[in-house]
Amino acid sequence: MNLFFQRSDTTEFRKRFRWIALFMAIGFFVVIGRLFQLQILQGAENHAIAVENIVRRITLATTRGRIVDRNGVILADSRESFNLYVVPEKLSLDSTWPKLADYLGLQQEERVRLEDKLRKIQEDKEDPRLKQQILLKEDIGWAANVILQEQAHELKGVSVVSVQVRYYPSGVAGAHLLGYMGEVSAETLPKLKSAGYLEGDRMGVAGTERAWESYLRGTRGWEKVLVDAKGQRRKDPGGVIDDADRRVDPIPGRDLRLTVDAKLQQAMHQAFKSELAGGAAVIEVKTGRILGLYSKPSFDPAALSGSFGRSALTEAFRKMYSDPLKPAVDKTVSGSYPPGSTFKPFTALAALEKGLVDPRASIQCRGFLRIGRKMYGCTHVHGPTALHGAIAQSCNVYFWQLVNESQVGMDIIAQMGQAFGFGQKTGLGINAEASGRMPTRAWMTYRNKGRYLTGFAMNAAIGQGATTVSVLQLALAYGVLANGGTLYQPQLVRAVETSNATVVQEFAPRVRRRIDLDPENLKLVHKALIAGVNEEGGTAFRARIEGVDLAGKTGTAQVGHKLVRGVEAEKVWYFNRDHAWFAGYSPSAAPEVAIVVLVEHGGAGGKHAAPIAFEIIRAYNEISGKAAPKPRDGAASRSSAGRQQDAPGRASGAQGRQRTP
Amino acid sequence: MMRQSENLTSRFDWPLFIAAVVIALLGVVNLYSATSVYQTAIAERYITQLYWLLGAGIVGAILCAFDYRHIERTAYIVYAVGIFMLMVVFVLARDVRGSARWIEFGSFRFQPSEFTKLTLILALAKYLHDDPKNEGRSLIDLAIPAAITMVPAALIFLQPDLGTAMVHVFIFLTIAAVTKVRAKSALIFVGTSVLASYIAYHFILLDYQRARIEVFMNPEADILGKGWHAHHARVAIGNGELAGNGYLQGMQNQFLFIPDQATDFPFPVFAEEWGFVGATVLIGAYMFLCLWAIRIASQARDRFGAVVCVGVTAMIFWHAVINISMTCGLMPVVGVTLPLFSYGGSSVTNNMIGLSLLMSVSMRRNMVRPERF
Repeated sequence: MNLFFQRSDTTEFRKRFRWIALFMAIGFFVVIGRLFQLQILQGAENHAIAVENIVRRITLATTRGRIVDRNGVILADSRESFNLYVVPEKLSLDSTWPKLADYLGLQQEERVRLEDKLRKIQEDKEDPRLKQQILLKEDIGWAANVILQEQAHELKGVSVVSVQVRYYPSGVAGAHLLGYMGEVSAETLPKLKSAGYLEGDRMGVAGTERAWESYLRGTRGWEKVLVDAKGQRRKDPGGVIDDADRRVDPIPGRDLRLTVDAKLQQAMHQAFKSELAGGAAVIEVKTGRILGLYSKPSFDPAALSGSFGRSALTEAFRKMYSDPLKPAVDKTVSGSYPPGSTFKPFTALAALEKGLVDPRASIQCRGFLRIGRKMYGCTHVHGPTALHGAIAQSCNVYFWQLVNESQVGMDIIAQMGQAFGFGQKTGLGINAEASGRMPTRAWMTYRNKGRYLTGFAMNAAIGQGATTVSVLQLALAYGVLANGGTLYQPQLVRAVETSNATVVQEFAPRVRRRIDLDPENLKLVHKALIAGVNEEGGTAFRARIEGVDLAGKTGTAQVGHKLVRGVEAEKVWYFNRDHAWFAGYSPSAAPEVAIVVLVEHGGAGGKHAAPIAFEIIRAYNEISGKAAPKPRDGAASRSSAGRQQDAPGRASGAQGRQRTP
Repeated sequence: MMRQSENLTSRFDWPLFIAAVVIALLGVVNLYSATSVYQTAIAERYITQLYWLLGAGIVGAILCAFDYRHIERTAYIVYAVGIFMLMVVFVLARDVRGSARWIEFGSFRFQPSEFTKLTLILALAKYLHDDPKNEGRSLIDLAIPAAITMVPAALIFLQPDLGTAMVHVFIFLTIAAVTKVRAKSALIFVGTSVLASYIAYHFILLDYQRARIEVFMNPEADILGKGWHAHHARVAIGNGELAGNGYLQGMQNQFLFIPDQATDFPFPVFAEEWGFVGATVLIGAYMFLCLWAIRIASQARDRFGAVVCVGVTAMIFWHAVINISMTCGLMPVVGVTLPLFSYGGSSVTNNMIGLSLLMSVSMRRNMVRPERF
């Protein structure tokens, strides 16, 4: 056989060509079968996955509600803050940085500091921040932002991100009442997720901001957008997203209209300027609405909310918690203090209501009282003293004798105190409220390991010992004295409104209880309170401001000696000083507001607390448009006080307003 | 002489030509859409691809003009050049995605492993051409063709390029399948192959290659990581449904979810835009091309021509089936192109030369055999 011929002989292969062809055809049909499965059988499914791949639901931010005062003056609002970010790798220190620094208007010191920071990052090639967006400066301001946006083309590697931050125009004056905001912590986040909170969200952590968080917060919206595999936003080529399911608008938070008056709040802040620490409350006696609630020392709520950046935030917190005067504590509701002599009207009422004392009967005050071998000192030598003078001039001996001789026991005092709301939370609803303490005989016995001493009741009679009250409790109780027997629940939020001032929900005053008191007895106390301010010898007489009509009682509460940790020895004397109180109402004839001023470790109430109360009431009169004309002489106020001897409980508000000079 | 050339032009294989042109043009049209998502020079690739098709077409036309028996004589030399180039790759290696596959001349790069498929086919054809047998072949008879295959396959596997190495082996197996092999030998061969592939999977494959196979076995396990390519290619194909999203409107492609859409994954782009109907037309074109090429083989005037045709057909068939299968989840992802359809100079040129060999065999199929002497 010739090889050439054999090479041309393809018979070896011939039978197998058809098998190869069949094999290949099967291969292609298998592939077509798979396509049929993917495109026809699972087509809709795969289409859904493809759509899901490119559709992203992005959340739309909402705006937090405003907090306004009774007249609509803004107390808390949100504003945009512009934060400056740079990518160090992209930012040229030679060409871009000088321009950027100029646009920002940086001071020389800050300019050098930031430049050094950037240079350090740029020189260290390993630094992970090199390629990241780093926060260079917070809150650059609206004007700087506008310039940067205009010049964006020459600022490579620079970007501005705007965030919503909270601001408080009233500043420190209403800080405790309003509270502040804080970032949601990692521990609480899982619990809050269901309520729609996301990482990095801010929520109210104190005051009204916290208590009314759910109203203020608002609800996020969302929008569906198209995003490619690289994360870039893309236009909808048409029909990918169903129009009906494209967007849900965010719902802005509700606005809150408070009962407080921003101007009064500011006046309270001013009135306290010469004192270090304390608190004051002004409430409407016929509604329980709070007109002013001030605590000192205060803090800057905007700084604590992080509105001025992180460094300002840390600094504000450091300051708040290192201050021995405890700015973090709301002294008007969270602090409880012995009420001292401001409690005497309640002891007097307890004795009168039980008929244990004849108000006209006098006792002899020799400036001290000897019980067994113990000597109890009075504030003065008051001489013959009846109930009226005992309250007006604050005679301790008279009240001790009520206990010793008239059988006004611990439980009688406690019963009356509790009726006036002492020892119970007021239900204000913001900040951690102290309930104070109104001790009974059983409680005192228990605490003293089974031994009861008459001294306990003597202490209780003059608001010392175990009795403690909060500023707000005392103000509400004096409100009861002023309105004739109704204890109100304090009210801070008057109405919930939408962002365009439509009222959603309005809150009516709420009565906690009516105390059954003999108007005659009330009248006696009322007269004594007027005398305490307006009669020679009254404890607040010297603090009087002409033209400011006020009835009330001072208090000088002794403080148990205690060493305050972290305070130098030479400063301890301050913490041993008495608390100064003033509690009262105005105008005396037909009371509208009750006022309580506490100056922590202020000393004598007549000297330190009463002047502040007068200042505040003067401001109140001015604000409410009935500022008294400059009085002609000192007699004016005294004579008016003398004339208005009718029981306050019977005077209506309208009447009072008309009759006020 | 005159008569012969007349004869040649009249025997021009139009069906083969048209099938190839249809596939190539669909490829260009699809390439335009696939790269339309880019703003850069990538969007101009379809022009480059046209130039490559034209250039390679001219080279192919010239090759057709020569009798392929000239090539037969130089087959082993061509084969040796192919092996040499594969070795050069190791020396001049330039790293593209962790493997050394390219040789560079200035701005011009080419991939020897594309061409060694052809040189292997020629060498195998030459060997079988010179070794006619009427009785069945034993394993020993197939040892030399196997060795001829294993040299380039091993070199390519070491690059490492599992897909192309596999195609070399499959080409050999397809050619072996048309020879007459003893039944017993075939059984032994299949048995040892299964064993060998088991050993290879566990001890020879690199981690990333094994990972791809694992992804294939369990496609939904790691969609964001290793399974990303396969998953999104599959979703894109499925998203085409019956009639497709429309030209230039493939959603997954437009939103950049199809990786390597010009080279390894043009099929998902096509299937998404033209749907099951379009994809079936394209696959139909490949099937027609392959079956027609087998027909040419069966009519070849000599053993060399027949084996070359089977080899080239096997090359096109395996490329097409592996490429489409890997995009629709029938096979693990290996870097194998879709013949004439994928973008790439080496691939286009190689396939064009292969087609011109088919054409050459086809045009000379019934030429007068030399007289017996």
